[in-house]
Amino acid sequence: MTTRRLQQTHPPEPEAGPAQPEPAAPVANGETGIDITASSPGRWEGRVRLSDGRTAPFLARRDGQQIHVWIPGQSYVFSPPAPTTRARRSGQQASDDIVCPVPGVVIAVHVSVDDQVVAGQDLVIIESMKTEQIVKSPRGGVVERVAVQKGDRVDRGMRLVVLVPVGWEEV
Amino acid sequence: MFSKVMVANRGEIAVRVLQTLQAMGIATAAVYSDPDANAPHVALADEAFALGGSTAEETYLDRAKIIELAVACGAEAVHPGYGFLAENPAFSRDCAEAGLVFIGPSPETIELLGDKIRSKEAAVQAGVPVVPSSPMWQPGESQPDDISTGIGFPLLVKAAAGGGGRGMRIVERVQDLEPALESASREAASAFGDGRVFLERYIPAARHVEFQVLADSAGNTIHLLERECSVQRRYQKVIEETPSPALNDDLRNRMAESAVAMAKSAGYANAGTVEFLVDAQTGEYYFLEMNARIQVEHPITEETLRLDMVELQTRIAAGEDLSLAQDDIQSSGHALECRIYAEDPYSNFAPDTGRLLAWRPPSGMGIRLDSGVVEGQEITAYYDSMLAKLVAWGPDRQSAIGRMLGALESFPVLGVATNIPFLLRALAHPDFRSGYYDTGFIAKYPELTAAPGPGDINGAAAEIAELFWQTNGNNTSGQVSATPRETQSPWRGLSKSTFP
Repeated sequence: MTTRRLQQTHPPEPEAGPAQPEPAAPVANGETGIDITASSPGRWEGRVRLSDGRTAPFLARRDGQQIHVWIPGQSYVFSPPAPTTRARRSGQQASDDIVCPVPGVVIAVHVSVDDQVVAGQDLVIIESMKTEQIVKSPRGGVVERVAVQKGDRVDRGMRLVVLVPVGWEEV
Repeated sequence: MFSKVMVANRGEIAVRVLQTLQAMGIATAAVYSDPDANAPHVALADEAFALGGSTAEETYLDRAKIIELAVACGAEAVHPGYGFLAENPAFSRDCAEAGLVFIGPSPETIELLGDKIRSKEAAVQAGVPVVPSSPMWQPGESQPDDISTGIGFPLLVKAAAGGGGRGMRIVERVQDLEPALESASREAASAFGDGRVFLERYIPAARHVEFQVLADSAGNTIHLLERECSVQRRYQKVIEETPSPALNDDLRNRMAESAVAMAKSAGYANAGTVEFLVDAQTGEYYFLEMNARIQVEHPITEETLRLDMVELQTRIAAGEDLSLAQDDIQSSGHALECRIYAEDPYSNFAPDTGRLLAWRPPSGMGIRLDSGVVEGQEITAYYDSMLAKLVAWGPDRQSAIGRMLGALESFPVLGVATNIPFLLRALAHPDFRSGYYDTGFIAKYPELTAAPGPGDINGAAAEIAELFWQTNGNNTSGQVSATPRETQSPWRGLSKSTFP
């Protein structure tokens, strides 16, 4: 796949358009400008050549399926491909999981099943690190499910509320 | 001087206080919660005692447990740090009853200053200008409309027992007032055990400038100049500097006089901080509150004045007179502090948790890191998200900023999101460089917190990840896409990119 990343790091081929696929090129160590100066299982450090030709230090760490990379001033997390998105009913917007943005404790749930909500409406309030985080609805819809209640300890990524578009159940 | 002192706190401030006590030749004792068993403050102290439990309420806020341990280990004094029990008058009283010296002001002073209404009255009595505000409100009491009369919109909802921006809301419209009062009251009740809130006139384009004061038990009171704390998110400080670029000598002198007058009016003994709002448009200033504790941002004062705030606090608590006179306070150069928070600057600064896979503090000319964490440590949701404070001193403001930028650039942190990318953008911003910024700085410039798009991901980083993945031998399909860990955290990500 041609990627924006590849366009960014390698000078683009004159004939390669952004949408044109490109064969997956194996990365050879010598060509990437990645110089590993220390490594142990799951840990690398070294120097890397940036797109502007300068070299900079880097650190990389493996944590489960994720690879964390630091280069000066920036940290990234890379993951293997996400599972394919679940099937959607044709012609319909899929139901929408509102997930927890932070780990913490649910201190208030402002909606119930079958409530109609508008974009920006408060759904759930989480206290995390002594601060209230208000989870707002990203769009209008009807609450299909409320997965948490007041007092629940929640983790990042946990489902809080399931929304469906207005009129979904009649279809 | 004390022979042994217990530090009733955690994180960077516990480490900071322990270091000074040890340098003074005082034996040290620490306390810790279950998740903090391997934290640096535990390793550093001469003795450390488990509090048992994880939440703040079960551990660092449990007055009885802490006092029992302090007495049992033979400590003569307790240093509360900031947060937790630092401004809890009951704890200060409990200490006295158990024969322990509380390193901080008297319980009466803490009570007075902890009550924002009474502390304002004390300011008025001392001739210090104050911002108009309302009486107290709590759920089920008077109608919100009644108390907003005379304040006007926009206004601020603030907690009676407040600090660190908790229980604080800005309200633009009358219809938003009631929900804001309720939410703020709930947050305040949870954070401070006191759900009372009140309203205050909101001053746009305000700068937040505070003065450090120091007073001994004999009533000798001096100020240690100012700290500019206008770069704030969620009403919490992120970047502080001294001297403030906003003050000229005349304003500085008038504010310093007000700070000393306020401390005297409150009968203050020990180190404290008088916070002011400065109206950038008119140059007028207003008393906000006085903090009866050591401040998070005290290191910048230490760097420009070359003194040790914790040592001064400890000497005052031990009954010594101030060894410094006002004329001894001569500032040198410029110092900046950046708070390193475990949070995602691109998702409204949402706190992040996880294991610190890499943590390599930077070093260099004029660079100081006050840190409470080590590589490998688990960052949990139980406590505040501040990991460390990076401080840079330079002979002038631009050199201090330059040193800070260099240190932030070369500070590898992996495993939890941090605000370092935001700090780099903020320090490089023309408004910050010029010194013309106010508390609206972050909100005014969305580019400071805009998530990088997939095309902005550094190609070198993606290449490293790709090579790393391949050489681990797990690449079965030949296709590994780099996706954000969470859809809410687009900065992590390469959601639209794929690497071969």
